[in-house]
Amino acid sequence: MKQSSLYKILFLVIVVLPVASGLVYALLFSLGIIGVLKQGFNVDAWQVVLFNKPFWSSIGYSLYIALVSVGMSLSIALSIALSWQKQLQKGFLSNAIYLPLCFPATVMAFFGFHLLSKSGLLSRMSFNLGLSQDINSFPLLIKDSLGMGIIFTSILLITPFFIILFASLYQNEKIPSFVNLAKTFGATNRQILRKVIIPILLKRSATTIYLFIIFVMGSYEVPLLLGRQNPQMISVAVLQKIQRFNLYDMPQGYAMSLLYVLLILLILVVLYLNNNRLFNHQNQ
Amino acid sequence: MQPLLHIKNLSKSFGNESILTNVNLHLKHNEVLSVIGTSGSGKTTLLKIIAGLEQQTTGELWLNENEISNQPAQNRNIVYLYQEALLFPHLNVFENIAFGLRLKKQPSIDIKTKVEKMLTYLELEKHKNKMPHQLSGGQKQRVSFGRAMVVEPKILLLDEPFGALDSHTRTKMQVLFKGLVGKLNISALFVTHDIKEAIIMGNTIGKIEKGNWQQYQNKQAFYDDETSGVKNEIAFWKDIIT
Repeated sequence: MKQSSLYKILFLVIVVLPVASGLVYALLFSLGIIGVLKQGFNVDAWQVVLFNKPFWSSIGYSLYIALVSVGMSLSIALSIALSWQKQLQKGFLSNAIYLPLCFPATVMAFFGFHLLSKSGLLSRMSFNLGLSQDINSFPLLIKDSLGMGIIFTSILLITPFFIILFASLYQNEKIPSFVNLAKTFGATNRQILRKVIIPILLKRSATTIYLFIIFVMGSYEVPLLLGRQNPQMISVAVLQKIQRFNLYDMPQGYAMSLLYVLLILLILVVLYLNNNRLFNHQNQ
Repeated sequence: MQPLLHIKNLSKSFGNESILTNVNLHLKHNEVLSVIGTSGSGKTTLLKIIAGLEQQTTGELWLNENEISNQPAQNRNIVYLYQEALLFPHLNVFENIAFGLRLKKQPSIDIKTKVEKMLTYLELEKHKNKMPHQLSGGQKQRVSFGRAMVVEPKILLLDEPFGALDSHTRTKMQVLFKGLVGKLNISALFVTHDIKEAIIMGNTIGKIEKGNWQQYQNKQAFYDDETSGVKNEIAFWKDIIT
């Protein structure tokens, strides 16, 4: 057997088969064909999910959290990567920047909780500095409707990835040469940033950015610990339907998860068709 | 007549290492000066100093009648082209050529007229909407020239622009560049390590060796200089034929 064929089979067995099995299981469960409380083929769960508000509000809320988190994270990472280019190439910072990547999402979420909650570190500091009168006068930053705790923790988690990515792209994409070229054309520092550095970095990292938006949309531990019951991010909402309280909700949970996967796949296909070159470039 | 560019006693060192020593160079209006030299001879450093991307250690740099040593690169109107085309990957051919004009905030209609005229000169009209990755090496280099020439720089600095091209494309590019220089009255420093290219491209020739600059009065003086390498080249071809 050819080595390439062996790899293909291994890929199918290790990667495709478990995911495909999970999706088929979810589909059958959502249609009432299998499961503890199966009622025979029906589309009740799909009707509830598709035509009621909770699923769509969870999707919208997840998208909002992901866009804000990734957007803010990109701004911070770009500022740091551009300000500290030399330090990020060699020396203490070039190694230290990898450190935050060691922290699991759960640990980061607990850190966020202890920092931002009403009884947390910031609240105590604020009280001791006389900025807040009591625990209730400190603003709600955890389990709040705007998801500030989730956004803060997501930024902590993903910003180091972007810093490393941009620092590496800065050299690989010959940005210093482009900067010199733009200078000789008369570009001001602001124009160089707006018309050269940022567009090149964002174009080259577009696929990664899309994937991180999807990653944050689907995150579980952080919104579980720091988010409120309503609205919920999609992963938390799905897991609550599948694992908690009412067994009759389980088909809805599976329908939600399948619909979410289909939506993400649809977005990926649209992005791929519109930006074929971007996806290929990452492999060049 | 006052030269367009006049460099007086220019030296450059990095720490204790001397890169350029006492360079005296002049470039006339509408003239191409070929700069020949081996790798590491200081050619690129010289161009970067002229462009304002490096600062000389000592010496003067006169452009027309102005001493420009303290002028930032942005204000010199001297465009420096690398060996690589360095087309902006996020812009198509049209926008790459329009880049310098847009920086200067020229009216859109003027930009369109100038860029389309340049596309015609470069025979790239059909490719104006393509992205850089869709172009061949020669096409990329042509866009790079167009982008530089369309802003009408006082001086164009070309750092081995055809170094990465195959010999056929290189010859085509030499012809194209010569034609454009004539049409657009360009003044340029053309760096190359190829003697034949230096003779073809330059009105005058200078040689840089271990940081020391020598500018020849004319091509005959270049030929007559035993160290220029021209006679060795001719002898090589004669030996092959005989």
